[in-house]
Amino acid sequence: MSTRDLVLAALFAAIIVALGLLPPIMLGFIPVPITAQSMGVMLAGVILGARRGTVAVLLVLLLAAIGLPVLSGGRGGLAVFAAPTTGYLIGWVFAAFVTGALAERLVRPAQGALAQSLGFFAAAVAGGVVVLYAFGITYLAVVTGIDFGKAFLGSMAFIPGDLIKAAVAALAARAVMAGYPLLPARA
Amino acid sequence: MDIRFEQAGARFAGRLAVEPLTISLTERRIGIIGLNGSGKTTFARMINGLVTPSMGRVTVNGVDTVDDAEAVRSQVGFIFQNPQNQIILPILREDIALGLKSRRLPAAAVEAAVQGILGRFDIGHLAGRRAHELSGGELQLAALASVLVTEPRIVILDEPTNQLDLKNRALVEATLNGLDESVLVISHDLALIADFDRVLLFHEGRLLTDGLPSEVIARYREVATL
Amino acid sequence: MNSLYVEGDSFLHRLPPGLKLLLLLAVSLALFLTRSPLFLGGAAAAGVLLYASLGIGWRQSWIRLRPILLTIAIVALATLLLESVEDGMVALLRLTTLMLVAAAVTATTPVGAFIDAVTRAALPLEKLGLVRASDIGLAVGLVIRFVPEVISRYQALRTAHQARGLKVRPTTMIVPLIIQTLKSADEIAAAIDARGIRGQKRQRKS
Repeated sequence: MSTRDLVLAALFAAIIVALGLLPPIMLGFIPVPITAQSMGVMLAGVILGARRGTVAVLLVLLLAAIGLPVLSGGRGGLAVFAAPTTGYLIGWVFAAFVTGALAERLVRPAQGALAQSLGFFAAAVAGGVVVLYAFGITYLAVVTGIDFGKAFLGSMAFIPGDLIKAAVAALAARAVMAGYPLLPARA
Repeated sequence: MDIRFEQAGARFAGRLAVEPLTISLTERRIGIIGLNGSGKTTFARMINGLVTPSMGRVTVNGVDTVDDAEAVRSQVGFIFQNPQNQIILPILREDIALGLKSRRLPAAAVEAAVQGILGRFDIGHLAGRRAHELSGGELQLAALASVLVTEPRIVILDEPTNQLDLKNRALVEATLNGLDESVLVISHDLALIADFDRVLLFHEGRLLTDGLPSEVIARYREVATL
Repeated sequence: MNSLYVEGDSFLHRLPPGLKLLLLLAVSLALFLTRSPLFLGGAAAAGVLLYASLGIGWRQSWIRLRPILLTIAIVALATLLLESVEDGMVALLRLTTLMLVAAAVTATTPVGAFIDAVTRAALPLEKLGLVRASDIGLAVGLVIRFVPEVISRYQALRTAHQARGLKVRPTTMIVPLIIQTLKSADEIAAAIDARGIRGQKRQRKS
């Protein structure tokens, strides 16, 4: 990993941490506060790609594990890996990877703005929603013994908010791609 | 010191940021002036291999900046335009120790060197502070300390008095004048380099002229008012 | 950012971090291999005693454990209602015990000791050429350094929005925030190379 890759992964880890500390932003049309760090995970994937995005998420989890309160609500320490929702934390790693891998394949600099935004959105939904929930729900069901179907239904309430986050991440990724051409071309 | 450019130039995105030039720099104190975007910073970054020449070659005391970047960088310290970006770790003491630890020095030697450099710049009271809380002048001194602790023989400073108040500017100037190391200073602060041994003037990517400060500064004033 | 480590000289404080992590792993495996209420109840009681022995105090402990305890309680209640009372109790005891032991390890291990342990654990991976072990400590330091910078830039952007009478929207905040911090990240990467901190390999641009 080049020095630049390492620094970029650390920067996005910090952005994920900061998203958990910042006051929520309200969207104009739907009363959903944008706080969640899961949007940071999507951002890391769509902007940095699979490898660096995954390293960024691993860094956040490492910081949490060594006792720093880096997760939203000031949570941290090894205890966060002992919660029923730990599956979502583990899922972050795979969410960033899948989001990044898809973004690298779906989005090209030559495409129009709309195609790029849609590509990023699809990548963020596949990784940051589908993959993430697969890990979160499975873990919840296994740890608690709740029936898988019931756990699935119970998690549905959070999906609309996450779709909005995916849309914000996609728009941001498209704008960053246009506004900061120093980012290396994707494979 | 002996910095040599042999027909060395740098191209970014198809544009020549520094036109190929041949020059040998041996003076102890060298100033670099020119308008914004004239190629000063790129030229300076070529000296420690941060920018690799697109043509020709650059050597420092006989060592090629591309073939042996590590050896060159251990001899050439670089202070960035924004010292905030120079400080890598959150706490100043840790940051200063970082460059030494990467050289795998024993802990006691690292500690002694850190204490030594803090004393040299009289900033021992800042050792435990968070880097992002330091003032502009403190940051500039901290950046200087973090670079000089690894004992480079040449120090390049990119606009070291930029954004400093009069008091901090005087402090940085006095510190610069007291350095035993060879210095290359990029500056818009013409008074800072007025008594240097040699000054280079860059204009539109070309080395326009070089020589004694008074002559080169006079030429700069002509170019700037065209 | 203050760490969750608590100064002290308890038995747990004196154990090496690597051993504590292995013990934590063993405890979590044991907890999930049994459903015996007697064993789980005993384990939970032992967990409470262990955590109490650290001398953190009730108030501070409550602040630290509340968010996770709350999630556990909600999920245990859901399990109890959706499945059975026994399932609910098992989930509650297992997760609470695990949380207490994990929080105890965190409270008795300083961040630096953790980083050293992780760096040592990564040395075999370094031999395989997968990671550079010393990069781990560097990366952790960089993240801690970047967090206040990201937040202060965010606040500056908010002020800039207000000064120009603009509404604070996610995209108009996040995009400039990322672009500004990417620029400074590039400078920092250059500074790390300029200071020779990672031991540069020979590199020639084609």
